[in-house]
Amino acid sequence: MSVKKKFKGLSDKAVGWLFIGPTVLLLLAINIYPLVYAIKMSFTNFYANKIGREPQFVGLKNYIKVLNKEAIWEKMQVTASFMFWTLLLQAIIGLGLALLLNRKFKGNELLTTLIVLPMMLSPAVVGVFWTYLYNPQVGLFNYMVNFFYDLGSFDMIGSSTLAPWAIVIVDTWMWTPFTMLICLAGLRSVPNYLYEAAEVDRASKWQQFIYITLPSVLPFLLLALLFRGIENFKMFDMVVELTSGGPGSATELASINLKREAFEKWKTGYSSAFAVILFVTIFGFGNVYVKVMNKIKER
Amino acid sequence: MDTSRSYLEPSSFSKKMAAAIIIVYAVVTLIPISWMVMTSFKNVDSAISYPPEVLFEPSLEGYVNLFTNRSRQSQEYLDSLPPPENWYEELVRSREMVITGPSKFLGRYSNSMIIGFGSTFASVFLGALAAYAFSRFRVPLKDDLLFFILSTRMFPPIAVAVPIFIMYRKLGLGDTHLGMIILYTVVNLSLAVWLLKGFMDEIPKEYEEAAMIDGYSRLQAFFKVVLPQAMTGIAATAIFCMIFSWNEYAFAVLLTQFNAQTAPPFIPTIIGEGGLDWPAIGAGTTLFLLPVMIFTIILRKHLLRGITFGAVRK
Repeated sequence: MSVKKKFKGLSDKAVGWLFIGPTVLLLLAINIYPLVYAIKMSFTNFYANKIGREPQFVGLKNYIKVLNKEAIWEKMQVTASFMFWTLLLQAIIGLGLALLLNRKFKGNELLTTLIVLPMMLSPAVVGVFWTYLYNPQVGLFNYMVNFFYDLGSFDMIGSSTLAPWAIVIVDTWMWTPFTMLICLAGLRSVPNYLYEAAEVDRASKWQQFIYITLPSVLPFLLLALLFRGIENFKMFDMVVELTSGGPGSATELASINLKREAFEKWKTGYSSAFAVILFVTIFGFGNVYVKVMNKIKER
Repeated sequence: MDTSRSYLEPSSFSKKMAAAIIIVYAVVTLIPISWMVMTSFKNVDSAISYPPEVLFEPSLEGYVNLFTNRSRQSQEYLDSLPPPENWYEELVRSREMVITGPSKFLGRYSNSMIIGFGSTFASVFLGALAAYAFSRFRVPLKDDLLFFILSTRMFPPIAVAVPIFIMYRKLGLGDTHLGMIILYTVVNLSLAVWLLKGFMDEIPKEYEEAAMIDGYSRLQAFFKVVLPQAMTGIAATAIFCMIFSWNEYAFAVLLTQFNAQTAPPFIPTIIGEGGLDWPAIGAGTTLFLLPVMIFTIILRKHLLRGITFGAVRK
């Protein structure tokens, strides 16, 4: 008798397939099939709103069109600067808060939970209520800014110089707790004996920070930024509700532009090519980033 | 002066400083949320007064407006009506309006509930099965499969929205509860599998092996021994899936309209006379955010794991 037969019922192999099968099938049907379909459409001149019209194969035309369009590069630039500022601010503030919370004062569990609340909320609903806070006539944000420093009347959402900052502020408000939590986990993972040894060697507090704390927390911070980077590259909901990409196209991130091309102009072929390019970008950058991250971790 | 040199035992002064800064940050960061809750209890006039009113006479106008449709009437018409039957009718009449019927909010809210619970149940159930298999069996290409499952989360939703839109139109799933439940189940599956695998890895194999030696089959051992052991993890995972479905906007706004629309695309469309009705939006937001805040507090011990797909466990 084989070893497996010693228990009754299905073999482990059968149970394994039975358990994994449904998940893989569902992902193939609702995730991979649409992606393959999108890739297929990206080589055609298909318009999803024109039913009955046979789409024609156009080769790489859509890709060439996307890459040659100046407006697309503008959107990429908007997306890149949004990512740069949000990640930078969230890294600095998040790490700072984590260092403070790590001093284990009374009540820090409760405070952590309170600080974390914004990131659990619906981004779209957050976008809506920030339009109220940013309202140039009655907004609380404008009132508070003027309370501390008299700027007079200003419109965060209506001005094309301020709108990019409006979305950076909301994203930072919402997601700083994310980097904070992950950095905090990093700080708590540092074994105490490292500090004890450093103290025996009479290392200053500053040296301990630079040579022990920072290197230990860095992989965690990088992981947090990876998650935030992917999310903000895809950013859609909060910004749509806050500025709907405007004024003009000052805050029109890649995803918002994609939605306009796909669901307002119904250029399915063209927008699919754009979607594929975005997907390849995110995937490529993600992979390179993970490799760099792992190298840093190894050191 | 801060004379302590130690990271392990910060001086009480540095502890106090840290606490003070954190408290200030917590207060500032909670202002937007509290402001929205306060606005929900203002009347329409006090919500648009400047400077913003911190002290105000509480009113339920926002909640009444959220749940009703109203129309403006002439004073003569209002006088000709029988006296109002209840407090909310009186409140609406004082604004020279009459209630014409319930608003769509309750329907949208219950859509969020149905789709949220349905997809959460499905993704946790399927996720638990897959996670168990990944945790216990030698699956060919295990790492590749796990990475594949995770990578599905990287697609921008808009990128797959068009094909799904076309597919759903063909299958008759567009703007239906079932369609949205399936979609959210799939989006949540990656999270469910990764989180639950972490939790299952922590349950010693010996438990189910002992049960199997006692005559349980593998399936019985899974359902009667492993699942009860994994309950905390399953509950935490379920809350994360629920929060995602509850908050999701991109698919909801693109794929639903009349029948299965959830609350997030609906709340921004609450419009009063002459612009947005801020107390009503505040009321909708408050009712919508309340469950998430409660869940967050319940979940606080597992937050870190949930937001990193199990990558960071503490």
